[in-house]
Amino acid sequence: MADHAVTLDAEDVSAQQVEAGARPELLNESEFQDIYRLHARPLWAYLYRLTGNAADADDLLQEAYCRMLAAPLATRDDRELRAYLFRAATNAATDLWRRGGRGKRREEPLSDDAAGPARGGDAALKQDMARTFRDLKPQERMLLWLAHVEGSAHREIAAALGLKPASVPVLLFRARRKLAGLLRKKGYGPGDPS
Amino acid sequence: MTFRACSEQPDILDAASAGRELPAVLTAHLASCPSCREQVDAVTFVRGLAETADAPRQLPDPAVIWWKAQLLRRWQAERAASEPIERMRWIELAAGVASLAAFLVWQWQGLVTLVARAVPAGVAAASAAPQESSPMAIVLIVCGAASIGAMVLAALHRRLGGASY
Repeated sequence: MADHAVTLDAEDVSAQQVEAGARPELLNESEFQDIYRLHARPLWAYLYRLTGNAADADDLLQEAYCRMLAAPLATRDDRELRAYLFRAATNAATDLWRRGGRGKRREEPLSDDAAGPARGGDAALKQDMARTFRDLKPQERMLLWLAHVEGSAHREIAAALGLKPASVPVLLFRARRKLAGLLRKKGYGPGDPS
Repeated sequence: MTFRACSEQPDILDAASAGRELPAVLTAHLASCPSCREQVDAVTFVRGLAETADAPRQLPDPAVIWWKAQLLRRWQAERAASEPIERMRWIELAAGVASLAAFLVWQWQGLVTLVARAVPAGVAAASAAPQESSPMAIVLIVCGAASIGAMVLAALHRRLGGASY
């Protein structure tokens, strides 16, 4: 998990760099395109799994990058930028749910083209997996994705989701347990662990 | 639902998250611990889902995002720059209304006489009453009222016009 851990405290680091004399600068278009190429796909995958909707994922991806471009950046470190983008995207997704935007668009499966080379039973399995994940609450999906796909530390997840660091392990444990229960119910799991 | 994790669970989950093979001790524990097994199942599932998300889908065009961000930044800068002007417009409107009110209070008697003269039925009564305002005062009252009224109207027009875009 620690190999590819991202730091979600980009603002803290920015503040430290400003204190150390680093001057925040606006990105130019080619720098932005480089950052986009580097982080857009994992960020889109995260947003797609959160929202279950490609159009919402597109919108939130754009919003996260617009938030990043709105102010001068105090860091050009890829890990810090990635952390900042995930946090901005998480906030944008939370805003979307608070506005009640989630109900406006139906959660949809990826098209055959978008689902990759897999077809038939494999594609159906993928869609079923996606549906199972969507049965979790948004916060549970965020927790699981940040912890086990992005490899974020508990402190970093807490910063991204506005939680107390001490409550992250408990919430993660519960989210994993709930997901395992859903998997058992759908016939993916090995059986009742109790 | 309580939080009762095994002591081995962090190590097992770390390995599962990183896709590493478990040492023999942990594998043996995993075989005998249903709680750890379900936690690992969940992690394996999420990681499997992440792999399916790496699809060759067309992402939004970065040039469009760049253009949108520039537009937003310009709009925010314009809004920040026009804020003092906007505030001054409100002050201007308030000052106009206050001036008009003060003027009406100050010259109320003169205005009443002026109106009485203008109304045909009141002409006789006005001519019979002692003159309180000279013709010059009347001209001043009319010009003052007209200019303050015009100022208030202009400020209102600007406010309404400004709100439309």
